[in-house]
Amino acid sequence: MVATPPDEELPELRLRELPAISPRVHVLGRVVSIRRREVIRRADGGRRPLLSGLLSDGSATVRFTWWDPPKEEIDRGTILRAVGAEVREFRGRPELVFTWRTKVGPAGPAELPPLDGDGLPLRTVRDLHDGDEGFRLEVRVVSVRPKPVSVGEERRVVHEGIVADGTGAVSFASWSDFGLVPGEAVRIAGGYVRAFRGRRQLVLDERGVVVRIDPTGLPDPAEWGRRPPRPIADVEEDGGGEATAIEGLVVGVVSPSGLVYRCPTCRRLISSGLCRVHGQVSGVADLRVRFVLDDGTGAATVAAGREATERLWGLTLADARARLRELPDPSVLEEQLAEAVVGRRLVVRGAAVRDDFGLTVTPESIEPAEVDLEAAADDLAARLDGAR
Amino acid sequence: MSLREPAWRVTTRELESSFEEERGAGERAASYVLSPFGARMNRVVLAGTLSAAEPIGRDEPSTFWRARLTDPLGTVGVTAGAFQPRAMVQLRTAPAGRPALVVGKVHLYRGRAETPTISVRAEAVRPVAEADERATLAEVVRQTLDRLDLLDRLAHEPGVTDDALRASGAPPGWIRAARETLRRYPDVDRAGFRDALRAAVRRVAGTGLAPPTPSATGSVTVTVDRPAPPRPSPTAEDRAEEATFLDLVDEAAGVSADGYADVRELLRRLADRGVRADRAEAVLGRLEEGGVLEEPIVGKLRRA
Repeated sequence: MVATPPDEELPELRLRELPAISPRVHVLGRVVSIRRREVIRRADGGRRPLLSGLLSDGSATVRFTWWDPPKEEIDRGTILRAVGAEVREFRGRPELVFTWRTKVGPAGPAELPPLDGDGLPLRTVRDLHDGDEGFRLEVRVVSVRPKPVSVGEERRVVHEGIVADGTGAVSFASWSDFGLVPGEAVRIAGGYVRAFRGRRQLVLDERGVVVRIDPTGLPDPAEWGRRPPRPIADVEEDGGGEATAIEGLVVGVVSPSGLVYRCPTCRRLISSGLCRVHGQVSGVADLRVRFVLDDGTGAATVAAGREATERLWGLTLADARARLRELPDPSVLEEQLAEAVVGRRLVVRGAAVRDDFGLTVTPESIEPAEVDLEAAADDLAARLDGAR
Repeated sequence: MSLREPAWRVTTRELESSFEEERGAGERAASYVLSPFGARMNRVVLAGTLSAAEPIGRDEPSTFWRARLTDPLGTVGVTAGAFQPRAMVQLRTAPAGRPALVVGKVHLYRGRAETPTISVRAEAVRPVAEADERATLAEVVRQTLDRLDLLDRLAHEPGVTDDALRASGAPPGWIRAARETLRRYPDVDRAGFRDALRAAVRRVAGTGLAPPTPSATGSVTVTVDRPAPPRPSPTAEDRAEEATFLDLVDEAAGVSADGYADVRELLRRLADRGVRADRAEAVLGRLEEGGVLEEPIVGKLRRA
């Protein structure tokens, strides 16, 4: 047996640096989630208590299992120091196990390593993937707005927006108010990345650290709103992207579009008065249009909400409802919307997401494309002459 | 993964020059028509002027309508049937002689004479302002030139990788189409086609005349654009040959178990009489086309 140092000499490890398997490590982290359970021993049917959850020190988040824990409750947010914990590998990721040999005790916030990001690797927006954490980013804030949400019983405000660097843009959700202002350059550490329906999101909470930095070398966020449209094939290949601009012809409208009814609770579309989740509800009328924008290299579905639909159609929700009363067949309304939209050349900016059905864009703006016919003709004539 | 097929921007001339197909395998697989100019088309967008739509077929009420779309380079048929009710109504009500955009699926029909006929089955027909028609025509010409440039580069640098082409901005679908085009149409006059695009550029600039309104009448007769040349009437020698041939078919059929004349058996008997195989094939072809003989099973003949 190899001689091992006594526990008090074990060096403190960052969670990101955990070895895959080790009989004894010394770690420090904040409890992100925790649950008390019992397992039944197969030998005698006796019950053995355990705590399991997630521990994070800002560099990584790791699952832990604590056998025979103390009787008193351990709250979420508690900082624990564990000396002599075991590391096991589960599905390619390290997990911590606190056994009778592990000394677990509370620690103060000051003992956690500072998350100024200096110790964390610098990443670019393009390199962020679902599940990533323990990195720092240097970005500019493109947009940010507060959004009240209810988490269980609790009402909280999440600050949502987009940050960008030279390689791309990513949406973020901050559960803590860092006073972010559009246009400013920041270094962000202590966040993590999750993906929802193929859309990456940077999540920040009270453990995140935001430092204002010099914007030199980072793109002006105002540029994001003026960037020229990209070929749809390129956006498809990237798997989508935030603040993406595409231009093309509307070649079709996807049903159901036009006047739709939504569940008053969850805003899902309802059919025959039934919501998928809430059953029979009395629907709330809304306007929307999903149209296919095609630029010859690829096609994207644009899901436009009420305001954009009203502008494209030239018809308000009230107009549409009034028209419905005079129409013998409600589906005619969708035909009329299709006639107003198909064949139009539009520039659409917004968040693009790719899934099995192709590219879908949630538009932030929809504008008619402007074509300078004279310049186009000159350009094409020059190309034809150049070929001679 | 079944992504929506992009709508290729093409001129009527490019459509009319296309006769190669790629049939998808498997369930609900898309089929494509390959053009000589680098388009692998399932869906297309066309900009031009529509003729009045006419019903096809004798059934009343007719469920199939056809119009013709003319752009500065030519004309192509646009159809819509009962399976495209929205497009059918749009095709019937689109004002004749006015600029329009057509989105639809390319359909290649081979008649009995193997003459390919291209038409577009409309998904959407939209009358548009002249400026919109010209803007889309500009896009058609630009993307056509992009595809021609891609083909030229591939032809001159056969070893160039997809990554290198991708880096120069060519969409993946175009690279695939260009490689397939060079395989299927090794000798095509791309320079001549490039020159023909000038007419479209004049239209974009507004200096070219708007394409003439295609006449409504007569469009029904234009079903085969390259009719086979009329055959010379058979000589007495031909007739004698055919008679011998038919006698031998009857003989061969008489000795076979299934009542059909086996083609190999027939050719052997003809060879015994000094008729060469190529000559025999020619007579066989003539009799089949003339409706005298038929081949219901490959290699088996009978009198029609």
